[in-house]
Amino acid sequence: MTDWHPDTRDLRLLEVLQDDFPLARRPWRAIGDRIGIPEDEVLRRVRRLTGEGIVLTISPVLESARIGLLATTLIGMRVPPDMVDGCASVINQEPGVSHNYLRDHSYNLWFTLAARDDAALSRSVDDIIARTGLSPADCLDLPAVRRFKIGVRFRFLPDGDGEGGA
Amino acid sequence: MNDRDQYLLQRLQRGIPLVEEPYREIAEELGISEAEVISRLRSLLSLGVIRRLAVRVDHRKAGILVNAMVAWRVPPGGVVEVAEAMARSAEVTHCYERTPIPGRWDYNLYIVLHGRRREEIDRSVDHLSRTTGITDYAVLISTRELKRAPPGLAFLSQGSSP
Repeated sequence: MTDWHPDTRDLRLLEVLQDDFPLARRPWRAIGDRIGIPEDEVLRRVRRLTGEGIVLTISPVLESARIGLLATTLIGMRVPPDMVDGCASVINQEPGVSHNYLRDHSYNLWFTLAARDDAALSRSVDDIIARTGLSPADCLDLPAVRRFKIGVRFRFLPDGDGEGGA
Repeated sequence: MNDRDQYLLQRLQRGIPLVEEPYREIAEELGISEAEVISRLRSLLSLGVIRRLAVRVDHRKAGILVNAMVAWRVPPGGVVEVAEAMARSAEVTHCYERTPIPGRWDYNLYIVLHGRRREEIDRSVDHLSRTTGITDYAVLISTRELKRAPPGLAFLSQGSSP
């Protein structure tokens, strides 16, 4: 899992690719200009990082509220170990589910769910719970009231090393 | 947002092509001009339909192995101040206020933290607790990823027919 041996240029590239990707005819050249690497080397490195499975895609991050997903919730479930795989497959089929994790807590399965409005969301929650076969008493439904931050951005370079040599 | 925007977004969910002129390649696939691809993306960004155009990384492969969800019980009047303080922290990637279930699950503020090691996470949580004064919290460490998909993608393809 971690036989990845990046050099400083890889790390700097990953940092800068998390910012706004240029809307220019030659975006890789613009990326290269930001970090002092030639266009062909930027492309070569991104292709390699993609081949290594580190980079998944460079793509638009959609604002769910702007594409009609106005209601979201977080569900926590107490799932017996022998039911985890069955529950996970029921939950993961649901298109409104974006994240689903097992966690080290008595409520051990946690997923996020989005829907067009509150009514659709609560129907979807009830439906999922029913199909897992769990009791509602073993489920927590925690609707979002307000979002303060969503910004999955990882730091690859140690603090203050942004200008370091390759 | 019209059909052309939908097709463009669907195509782009598979990623920007790794070629010198990626927008031209997309334009050729969709039968529109390169200038139109770029101007539509600009307008989707300014409308806020697209938050940003950026790399999606497999953070586990890149060594960022631990994700923790931390649920905090914050006095109702203090939520905004505490949430904003936590949101400022670089390792906090998500921060939401949620409706608690009184008596059963009283936590009302939720953050997600990513890190390389468990100790790194514990240090951050400890620091957040000390700086905000919130001492009633639960740390839930991920042990297995069951699903991680870009939010909204499935709905975009469902609702795309003209």
